[in-house]
Amino acid sequence: MTSIILLSIFGIINLFVGFMKSKRILLPLSLLFLAVVFGANLFSWNEAQSYFNHMLTIDNYAVAFTGIMVLATLLLLPFSQHYIEEANENLAEFYSLLLFSLVGAIMMVSYENMLMLFIGIEILSIAMYVLAGSDKRRLRSNEAALKYFLMGAFFTGVLLFGIVLIYGATGSFYLTDIAATAAVNDGTVNAMFTLGLLLLVIGISFKISAAPFHFWAPDVYEGTPTLFTSYMSTVVKIAGVAAFYKLMAAAFAASYAAWFPTLIAITVLTLVVGNIGAVVQTNFKRMLAYSSVSHAGYLLMALVAFNERSDASILFYSLSYALATIVAFAVLQYVSEQRNGDETYAAFNGLGKTNPLLAFAMTVAMCSLSGIPLTAGFFGKLFVFTAVVQDARLMWLVVVAVLMAAVGIYYYFKVVIAMYMQPAADAAKIRIGSFASFMLIFITVFTILLGIAPALVSDLL
Amino acid sequence: MEPAVNQQYVPSDYLPILIQFLAALGFVVTTLIVTHLIGPKRKSAVKDAPWESGIESVGDARTPISYKYFMTAILFVLFDVEVIFMYPWAVNFRSFGLDGFLQMVLFMGLLLAGFFYVLKKGILKWD
Amino acid sequence: MQEIVMPRMNQDMALLCLLIPLLPFIGFLLNGLGNRKFSKGLVGFIGCSTVLVSFLISIYLFLDFKANGSQAYTVDYYNWISAGSLRIGFSFLIDQLTLLMLLMVTGIGFLIHLYSAGYMSHDEGIGKFFSFLNLFMFSMLLLVMGSNYVMMFVGWEGVGLCSYLLIGFWNKNTNYNNAAKKAFIMNRIGDLGFLLGIFLIFITFGSVSYPQVFAEASKLTGLDTPVMIGITMFLFIGAMGKSAQIPLFTWLPDAMAGPTPVSALIHAATMVTAGIYMVIRSNVLFILAPTTLEVIAIIGAATALLAATIGLVQNDIKKVLAYSTVSQLGYMFLALGVMAFSSSMFHVLMHAFFKALLFLGAGSVIHAMSNEQDMRRMGGLRKALPVTFITFLIGTLAISGIPPFAGFFSKDELLAHVFEHNKILWGVGVLASFMTAFYMFRALFLTFFGKFRGPEEQKHHLHESPAVMTVPLIVLAILSTIGGFLGIPEVFGAEHVLGDYLAPLYTYARSINPAAFETGAVSHELEFILMAVSVGVAVLAIIIAYFMYIKKEEVPAEENARLAPVHNLLYQKYYIDELYNSLIVRPVMWLSNAVHRLVDVIVVDGIVNGVGRMVILSGRTLRYAQSGAIGFYLLVMVCSIALILFLNFFIG
Repeated sequence: MTSIILLSIFGIINLFVGFMKSKRILLPLSLLFLAVVFGANLFSWNEAQSYFNHMLTIDNYAVAFTGIMVLATLLLLPFSQHYIEEANENLAEFYSLLLFSLVGAIMMVSYENMLMLFIGIEILSIAMYVLAGSDKRRLRSNEAALKYFLMGAFFTGVLLFGIVLIYGATGSFYLTDIAATAAVNDGTVNAMFTLGLLLLVIGISFKISAAPFHFWAPDVYEGTPTLFTSYMSTVVKIAGVAAFYKLMAAAFAASYAAWFPTLIAITVLTLVVGNIGAVVQTNFKRMLAYSSVSHAGYLLMALVAFNERSDASILFYSLSYALATIVAFAVLQYVSEQRNGDETYAAFNGLGKTNPLLAFAMTVAMCSLSGIPLTAGFFGKLFVFTAVVQDARLMWLVVVAVLMAAVGIYYYFKVVIAMYMQPAADAAKIRIGSFASFMLIFITVFTILLGIAPALVSDLL
Repeated sequence: MEPAVNQQYVPSDYLPILIQFLAALGFVVTTLIVTHLIGPKRKSAVKDAPWESGIESVGDARTPISYKYFMTAILFVLFDVEVIFMYPWAVNFRSFGLDGFLQMVLFMGLLLAGFFYVLKKGILKWD
Repeated sequence: MQEIVMPRMNQDMALLCLLIPLLPFIGFLLNGLGNRKFSKGLVGFIGCSTVLVSFLISIYLFLDFKANGSQAYTVDYYNWISAGSLRIGFSFLIDQLTLLMLLMVTGIGFLIHLYSAGYMSHDEGIGKFFSFLNLFMFSMLLLVMGSNYVMMFVGWEGVGLCSYLLIGFWNKNTNYNNAAKKAFIMNRIGDLGFLLGIFLIFITFGSVSYPQVFAEASKLTGLDTPVMIGITMFLFIGAMGKSAQIPLFTWLPDAMAGPTPVSALIHAATMVTAGIYMVIRSNVLFILAPTTLEVIAIIGAATALLAATIGLVQNDIKKVLAYSTVSQLGYMFLALGVMAFSSSMFHVLMHAFFKALLFLGAGSVIHAMSNEQDMRRMGGLRKALPVTFITFLIGTLAISGIPPFAGFFSKDELLAHVFEHNKILWGVGVLASFMTAFYMFRALFLTFFGKFRGPEEQKHHLHESPAVMTVPLIVLAILSTIGGFLGIPEVFGAEHVLGDYLAPLYTYARSINPAAFETGAVSHELEFILMAVSVGVAVLAIIIAYFMYIKKEEVPAEENARLAPVHNLLYQKYYIDELYNSLIVRPVMWLSNAVHRLVDVIVVDGIVNGVGRMVILSGRTLRYAQSGAIGFYLLVMVCSIALILFLNFFIG
């Protein structure tokens, strides 16, 4: 709860600091705010508490995911330097919107009441609609915002409809009440309940860009300014999956049979569409969009497994995925700026020679995303897969996932090949700030550390 | 409240809704078709021209309107809606006690901060 | 029932054991980070010295192990993975098998590192090369030292990655990159099998640590249960990929695109034997599934024969060696299939000596020929390259199975076991052995005998390689000559050093299936006959090769010459690459393109351009948002919703 309050206050402070002449203070200040929130959040560990008539509960699950999301924001913010250099007039608003959206994200991992879930999703989404269109002078950015908003609004309707139907069937918004009603009725209360449940699944699937509700993702990711794409594919996705799992575990565990077939179909489709779709992309950013779809698939696998290992594997996977994705987008941002907005693979040609640090960080990130051992991504996948195989009947799902992971290596390594094995078109060295370099090194080391000692995080929950 | 979940509905219970739905739809469709069929149709250049209260129409219908207009409008809606919260609060002011008062002070403080932000940002300047 | 003895913990060795893989890793870091700043000499020194120290430590461990009564022990470091019931320690298992592999990997690894310092001295990427090579050593050592399947898998992936990086080392050439990609993808298919095998092991035994798994497995009763067949088949698929067996063998010949020391180290001596290591390590599991063993034997024999036939007509000296590697790996699997685990390991060791020798010899030739690899452009090189010639000759004799060179003993022992088990497979083995002798001597004669067939100016540049390259050749030649005495057959009255040394590995397996380990079924007379047969066919093959390539001075036909149908079929490697290409690669690319077309081209471009044109009329500014794509997206998504609801309510 302290983190929600602090973030709201800090967001407002940020807005007013933005009126100062120099924008240079904004980045360190925001980082400081986030660091404070990260620290304050940790105090709630093992001190579960409920607020607002039990509409929110800050338990270890919430603290862990809040920690990861705040950390992810903290890590990606330093790469907003070019906004500072351009003296973007709306810099303060960007930072504030990020802080506000984090409030929504935290609500999504700590709700006990479906209204809170809905409000959380909306706080998060509305901030993202604005940020998607924050590059006002670029048509692609406007397009992204409008598309995201239109489709997002549509699926918000679907989600809300689902919530309402569930309320109609059970008479409550509280997860515990819903679970109690479902439990005494064999998990299927009536047709209205099932319909509501399916609509909920569909609504959240859209938010985490799971196929076939992923159509918005490539266009929106491509158009959105890279920094916010990075936020979208990490924090927004993590919050979505965490909310999804919490919803299913706390309210619909008894109704497993009603949502399981749908979810498994969505999962397989997401894995296939995400990976196959990424193969033919020539635009690196668009590839990352498809890749983020595919990672939603891996995360959903943990949900499909639905056992005592699910939450911990989602947590670990989220963290490993967030670290790698932040690096990928950060490097992309530097490279495309240097190459006049070129976001194709070709833009990375020869980066290994001109900027060894960027290239190395990118290589580790790509290894992690494709699940090569000794990076965090390997254990992310391993944990998800072991969670799934606890039910031996789901072995086939693991086969599909591993095959798709093999496909993944193909397109992730394209960029590695471009960096190290192609001659540089533009031999100029890309200039990066020392703080951003430090952050890149930090994330890279962290990724490898988690690949060597995953026990640091894997047993938190 | 005890949720009313044990009551069993049968499809025929929904029949009144269906009938009402059909009636509503039917009315609209019928009216549209009938007026179309029985109305007189005369076509000429004058008839087809858009009617602008007798003033001759010039230019494009899609003239851009300054975004400031929308900004002001949306701000009006925003603050207008927030005021609604004050009515129920005022009615129950006594029973809320000091807590309620402080909460509203906080709320209004945030609102004022927003208003101040809007002013500083120069959104209400019109030129 | 054999009593179950868990390996004891031995933390005294913790630092030494850790240093073995850690030193090459430090070498990787140093060379990787500083490769532009270090001089070439320093790079070579770091690369070689780290591996040398690892080798010395391995020797110490080996001696210490022996001195302490040859008891297997584990060294625990920390709780590596901890996730619910899954607890995996980062720990090493030191036993006979690990020690042998350690000595082989670090020993031969050091020699090849040393050789590389000379071979790559003209290459500007030498720092990168050494850092990759050291990273490979690290992964390989992790693979053989780990005490559980997950560590083995980590090493397994690591060596695959390094192999990929090193095949594509000369990355200016697209073909090389394709070869690297092919190797990587084929290996991934194998890895998939391996990973599934690990999962099945975890489900079945509740652990992935070797001692626990094997102890649990030895409690199982009944052979050939479906789950054991499943586990072993999955593991074998993994081995197939890494050790290049049918149908996943085509990557290995292509992998010759890498620098020659890489071919010697990774694609001949060490990495490709990882599959065999895995099977021997899991012998308890395989013993429980005779059906899988049967499959392994057949695939091994088929691979040995198929690769040998292709090897008969290849003209690229490295391709010949590559197919011979595939063929020899087939032998090893054949031995595994008939439960002759120690013989297989014996052959792994001997093969590592002579194949590394042959590759390095070939590298020396290529070095002298300024990167020419086609044997049709060579000939008569024995005068210019005397050391290379003699060592290459020793390697060729060893691989052909001529006594008393290393290959004779291991191949003979292996074939004797096969004979005991299945006469037909033995026949296949002898046939492949005949071909091996033929194509190896064909390569030897074409390269070193006859007249020089290359361009005139090249003739003047021929030179023997520097000492840094010839010394490893000489050392390996000595090993290939005397290495075989580790496993002299019993008929000669000596004890089988290697077999006795490895015997404790099969304690569990023996308790499950004692019949499999009974020896001596072959009488001494028969054994002599078998030996005579295999030496006989080898000598016959050599004589034929001699007549064809020395007496008649035959030179293989040029690239576009018309070949006899059978010859052509072999030369084109049975068109297996083309088959895979049209059966697998093309459909996948087609599917991917179809998805791409459907979503991106037809939908976005088609609708944006088509419907967009109409929209342009009404307002250019909103073109992007109103392009119709968004409408289409929503339509598809709404249809999906309808489909989901329909399926749930009316079908499910």
